[in-house]
Amino acid sequence: MTATLAPPPPVLELRGIRQTYGSGDTAVHALRGIDLTVGRGEYLAIMGPSGSGKSTLMNLLGCLDVASSGGYVLEGRDVASLDERALARVRNRRIGFVFQSFNLIPRMSALANVELPLVYGRVRRAERRRRAEEALELVGLADRAAHLPNALSGGQQQRVAIARALVTDPAILLADEPTGNLDSASTDDVLEILHRLWAAGRTIVVITHEDAVGARAARVVHLRDGLLVGDVRTGDAVAVASTVGSR
Amino acid sequence: MTVGELLSSALRGITANRLRSALTLLGVMIGVAAVILLLAVGNGSSTRIRDLITQLGTNTLTVRASGGFGFGGPGAVAADSTRKLTLQVADQLAASKLGHVAAVVPQVDTALTVSSPSATEDATTLIGTTPDYFTVTTNRIGSGTAFTGADVAAAAKTAVIGTTLASELFPAGSALGRSIDVDGTTFTVVGILQNVSSTGVQDADSVVIAPISRVQRSFTGFGPISTLTVEATSADDVAAAQGETEVMLDQLLGYDPHAAAGTNGRPAPAPYTITDQTQLLQTAAASAQSFTVLLGAVAAISLLVGGIGVTNVMLVTVTERTREIGIRKALGATRGAILGQFLVEAATLTLLGGVLGVVIALVGARFPINGTQPEVLGFSIPLALGVSVAIGVFFGVYPAGRAAAMRPIQALRAI
Repeated sequence: MTATLAPPPPVLELRGIRQTYGSGDTAVHALRGIDLTVGRGEYLAIMGPSGSGKSTLMNLLGCLDVASSGGYVLEGRDVASLDERALARVRNRRIGFVFQSFNLIPRMSALANVELPLVYGRVRRAERRRRAEEALELVGLADRAAHLPNALSGGQQQRVAIARALVTDPAILLADEPTGNLDSASTDDVLEILHRLWAAGRTIVVITHEDAVGARAARVVHLRDGLLVGDVRTGDAVAVASTVGSR
Repeated sequence: MTVGELLSSALRGITANRLRSALTLLGVMIGVAAVILLLAVGNGSSTRIRDLITQLGTNTLTVRASGGFGFGGPGAVAADSTRKLTLQVADQLAASKLGHVAAVVPQVDTALTVSSPSATEDATTLIGTTPDYFTVTTNRIGSGTAFTGADVAAAAKTAVIGTTLASELFPAGSALGRSIDVDGTTFTVVGILQNVSSTGVQDADSVVIAPISRVQRSFTGFGPISTLTVEATSADDVAAAQGETEVMLDQLLGYDPHAAAGTNGRPAPAPYTITDQTQLLQTAAASAQSFTVLLGAVAAISLLVGGIGVTNVMLVTVTERTREIGIRKALGATRGAILGQFLVEAATLTLLGGVLGVVIALVGARFPINGTQPEVLGFSIPLALGVSVAIGVFFGVYPAGRAAAMRPIQALRAI
């Protein structure tokens, strides 16, 4: 159905992104000029073997790292021109990041972990609580709000992490190998949640080397040796997404 | 974040590693307590010496015979050519009615065995003197009376004894009116001294004081006396009294301080020395002062060592939590927010330890340490607290600031 519509407005645009570590003979060119546009409401999977530069790309998208050269425009804003404070605001408001290793803060309850981005966003306490509870509800963990991360299974921890990424209502949800540390049942849970979110209008970018994960995205790009080598839009994913969304 | 949230989040950070936090707390606590307590002990001993100075009275001079005891050299030769400091010289000095001298009290000392029917005390100090002794020196009559001028004239066998001796010789009842045996001579106890606080090795309350005439006749002979206490008319006149006494004594003893003696052309040493009581105590006060400084240095070192311990723990803690800093930054924490978190944590921890240290020091200062009642110096509390908190906060925040300045991905990849 997306094929019949005009191209969606871009959420992010990369122009000639290069990332080089080190210098001279020992320089490692992780990314060698990436051009990529992700439109609103897209579900994009970035796939590639290890060492292809996909994590480097993801860190740049999430503003966790700065590119050596090239342009990155996020929602019409040139990220390269932003200072430290403004970058922190972008990470806080515009981007929801889901890590492979969950990266929940130990000794803070699931609810407190989900609230944390709102704390940095200076949201009032009562509002924070309400929104964090809603986000946990969305990933089906409302009854685990008071649990500490080490009292949750891997799948549950990743769902808390997704709730944390969603709680600020970001423009884009970035997930770096979100199922890499999970068993197949938990993987299905997480993928289903991502699909449901996409169906509800979220823009999602997933990094993965698992075909099963990539197969559920609406668009797949392949990375090899720091270059994009393929950009495929599949109808299957849309079909799956719409069935999930219609439940 | 509200203050309450900040504190509860700081508390969560502190309780994350209980043992490490406890050690940090301990380091700050010991450092702070040591500084306050050691300075208090030094200050307490200074105060005690100052008290002794006022207790002793500041208007007395002590004249002691010097030289002539077989030290050899020119001094011994010179001493032979002058008269000794005897009771006659003392009487002449008193009779000369010097303008700024209120009283002259001669004194002979010896140590003898003193016994009562029930007890014997070896090597007890026996002082022979005149009744003025009890008004000029700090040895005052506590009960009974002093012996009189008539007793001195008659060489009466009356004695005043110290409280320690009184209770040792007569454990059952009062010593007043009882007889004591001093190396074969029987004295009647007419008075007992007040308790005096003692600074020396000897117990100032274990003493027999009798008329000088009797002590010389029975024990020491009529040779030189040990000391002469000269009381000035007032504390301001001590210097004048000292000058007058020196001039008169030189005259009485036939000593010329300007005459060369012997063959080496140096002036002969004086046959006596005059010391101002306060001089002695000022020396003691000065040494107490340097003692305080020494204790202060020890305290400063312990604070420093405690500070290094705190520094170490803080550095390790922050390094370990670099990943957490990375997560927080990825979620949108600014550098300021990270710094604020670690600042509150470090300040809470070190302040808690510091306040505990102050409490321990204040409680500890209530008990005498090695006979000295510590007196807490007001400035030492903010000083110790300030330094330890500053160290803890700086080394808690500085590495956190470094971590917060990294790109989030660098912090996330740490460890």
